[in-house]
Amino acid sequence: MYVELKDINKTYAGYQASNHVSFGIEQGRLIALLGPSGSGKTTILRMIAGLETPDSGEIVIDGKVVNNIPASERGIGFVFQNYALFRYMTVYDNIAFGLNVKKENKKYIDERVHELLKLISLDGLEKRYPSQLSGGQRQRVAFARALAPNPHLLLLDEPFAAIDAKVRQELRSWLKEMIEKLGITSIFVTHDQDEAIEVADEIIITNKGHIEQKGTPLEIYQNPQTAFAATFFGQTSQITNYQSFHSFPKVDNVDKAIIRPEFVKVSKKNEVQRFGPSASEGVVERVSFRGDSLELLVNVNDNQIIAKRGLEEKSIAVGEKVDVFIYRLFVTVGEKAMLLENQSLVDDSVFI
Amino acid sequence: MNQNKQSGFVKWLLITISVLFLFVMLVLPLLVVITQAFKSGVAAYLKAVTDKYTVRALLLTLEATLTAVVVNTIFGLFAAWTITKFKFKGKKLLTTLIDIPVTVSPVIAGLIFILLFGRQSLLYPILKACHIKVVFAVPGIILATVFVTFPFISRELIPVLETEGTDEEEAAALMGAGAFTIFRKITLPHIRWALLYGIVLCTARAMGEFGAVSVLSGHLRGLTNTLPLHVEILFNEFQYVPAFAVSSILVILAIILLVMRSVLEHKGKTTKKPL
Amino acid sequence: MKKKNKRVIPGFGISMGVTLTMVSVIVLIPLATLVIYTAQMSFPEIIATITRGRVLSSFYVSFITAFAASAINAVMGLILAWVLVRYEFPGKRILDGMIELPFALPTAVAGISLTYLTTDSGWIGSFFAKFGIQIAYTRLGITFALIFVGIPFVVRSIQPVLEKLDPSYEEAASVLGASRTRIFWKVIFPEVLSSLCTGFGLAFGRCLGEYGSIVFIAGNKPYYTEITPLIIMSELQEFDYPSATAIALVMLIAAFLILFINNLIQARNTKILNGNR
Repeated sequence: MYVELKDINKTYAGYQASNHVSFGIEQGRLIALLGPSGSGKTTILRMIAGLETPDSGEIVIDGKVVNNIPASERGIGFVFQNYALFRYMTVYDNIAFGLNVKKENKKYIDERVHELLKLISLDGLEKRYPSQLSGGQRQRVAFARALAPNPHLLLLDEPFAAIDAKVRQELRSWLKEMIEKLGITSIFVTHDQDEAIEVADEIIITNKGHIEQKGTPLEIYQNPQTAFAATFFGQTSQITNYQSFHSFPKVDNVDKAIIRPEFVKVSKKNEVQRFGPSASEGVVERVSFRGDSLELLVNVNDNQIIAKRGLEEKSIAVGEKVDVFIYRLFVTVGEKAMLLENQSLVDDSVFI
Repeated sequence: MNQNKQSGFVKWLLITISVLFLFVMLVLPLLVVITQAFKSGVAAYLKAVTDKYTVRALLLTLEATLTAVVVNTIFGLFAAWTITKFKFKGKKLLTTLIDIPVTVSPVIAGLIFILLFGRQSLLYPILKACHIKVVFAVPGIILATVFVTFPFISRELIPVLETEGTDEEEAAALMGAGAFTIFRKITLPHIRWALLYGIVLCTARAMGEFGAVSVLSGHLRGLTNTLPLHVEILFNEFQYVPAFAVSSILVILAIILLVMRSVLEHKGKTTKKPL
Repeated sequence: MKKKNKRVIPGFGISMGVTLTMVSVIVLIPLATLVIYTAQMSFPEIIATITRGRVLSSFYVSFITAFAASAINAVMGLILAWVLVRYEFPGKRILDGMIELPFALPTAVAGISLTYLTTDSGWIGSFFAKFGIQIAYTRLGITFALIFVGIPFVVRSIQPVLEKLDPSYEEAASVLGASRTRIFWKVIFPEVLSSLCTGFGLAFGRCLGEYGSIVFIAGNKPYYTEITPLIIMSELQEFDYPSATAIALVMLIAAFLILFINNLIQARNTKILNGNR
């Protein structure tokens, strides 16, 4: 493990920002700390950077306990949420700052800055001030500034939060590409699940100061281990009486069931259905166009379920009676989540 | 239609009231100073202004003002940096303490220093042994001036630095920059205008301070007289023309400072580089 | 565990050190002297000093004139701030710049020129003398000088609030059919009320302690136009330090009380605006 947190606790004025936080990160990976605001993700990042001190526990970077090593000597690069570019310095001076502080020789600084300017494709703009740049350009300058002194670990606090939606998409892929190219271990904080899935090699989900789950985006998506992780991803429908749907095994003490839209198959009454007998009848309450698909809100036994339907399929009207088949769902028991497959699918594979 | 007419009437009524009020309260007093100063002609005016005691008083005023500005600038920079860039216990108490000098009556400010350095003080024998005279002497006047204008610069800097936050400084610190580098390269550019603005306010107040200085001066003409005290003496001796002539110097200084103030305020607003 | 790197930004030690040293030398130690000096006096002694008839009437004069001046400034300050924020007219910037004159003009200069203006032969005084009203050397004169001193406080307190006031509030109210006067009293006035109180408090505090501009205009008649700072001054000139200190103590308490009440109003206001956070 390149970065390791061991049983970290941190309290702010009675509020537990970190509650027995432990995890490890391998070298060269791009990690997302994902969670809603107030979940303690930024606190974790700032503690790794040395901007905050944990109340107890150890932070290890590259085999060394860094708790008592000042932030500036930890060999990290930090990209602040609002970039914290030095507003009274040019782009060039911003990027050169860290190197100047280290008293590198002028020639090396000049080379390094130009190398980085090329990397972030802003060569030619080195004389500009941050206020004369667009949001995306500022972010890239912040990135270059953090990278200039060759850090071993790059930390980014909500790197895309301050950028408008269109540019954000571009920057995400750019950043992922850059970090992969440089091979630098990176951790970024985000509250946006799509961002985490798209950019990160691995996701750590935080909630109320503790870690809910750690894994690759696919693992977490397919196999959420906690109720929180199951609900946090995707647009989910939550129902209380999952037993009203056919062919699901019975589990004791279930609080609720969570259904993702892609777990649901909605068929018109006259369409050919593979699992007809296991489907339930429902009434369409709302049809909304979502660009690449239609989103349906279907009422089945007083449960409102969100489903997707392809645009090329036959259209469905509001008020129409339809058959709803659920492939799988998550049930939560206390804090735990588990996946239940529809038994008719299992039987299917067995008998045919 | 009707409402527009009515609001136009209200607008000009309020503007007239404002202009009249400010004319009576602010412009008339200035006009009095100028007309009375030149009442007996330019020659009399020049004689009063270049009088030996006037020049001495002007020099002492400049000395006290300069000291106050230097001391309070140093203090203001350190205090503002400490208060806005760090978290610590007792911050509220510290800011309250810093603000005390402006809430206290100038006469009381003078009294405090008399109690501290005067004849009945425990320090008095020591000071006497060292031949240092504070009360009824120049050091007392300077001290009183510093005290009265103490928070003037820090209170201009603190709000500016507070809105800037600490991100830029933290970013610089993360890269290993030292305190002085951070201050000079990162913080100082943000507060240039506020600092100059504070200096202007501090200068204005310092040169005009009367109550506190009056308590500590002992009114020794030519020795411990500042310009405002000199004005008082002349006025009380019914030498109205010289009194107003000397006042006119202060009026001119005040107007220069006012103009600088509004230029700086304008500059500060327009040269901000918003992110 | 040692918390060496508790603060990220370097330089806390030295800057805190310099700040505390300077605060101690210039504010704390001198103020402590006052406390120590008071502690040496007996309580009955202090009471006897501050309940002398002349002292009591000086409290009254100081209070009543400061209050009247601040009240007038509250009204005029509101009008001035409104005019400066809401209306466009030639000369507005000059008017705006002038507001600060009482800060910049030495009080002694203001004192003598206001006195000169309001004596029976002065430009203003001669006008009022026709109606048998005397300004200089009366409580009216003190109030007049204090109005001068207090002008900037209320204006500068209200101005930023009025500037920030979202015009959509008023638009919303007028769409709902409220009349202009109603909009002012129900929508705008409550918004500026707390800053109006702050401005009033600041002006009042300053007026209570004011000395330079009043010595000349007051005439300093005991029981009639002798304000408290003047009494302290005359006690000092007679080297009666205990009496001066005792009276100063009352003024200090009054000043802190005003500050405290002001903070309470501010705290209450932020509570209303931001909820119970």
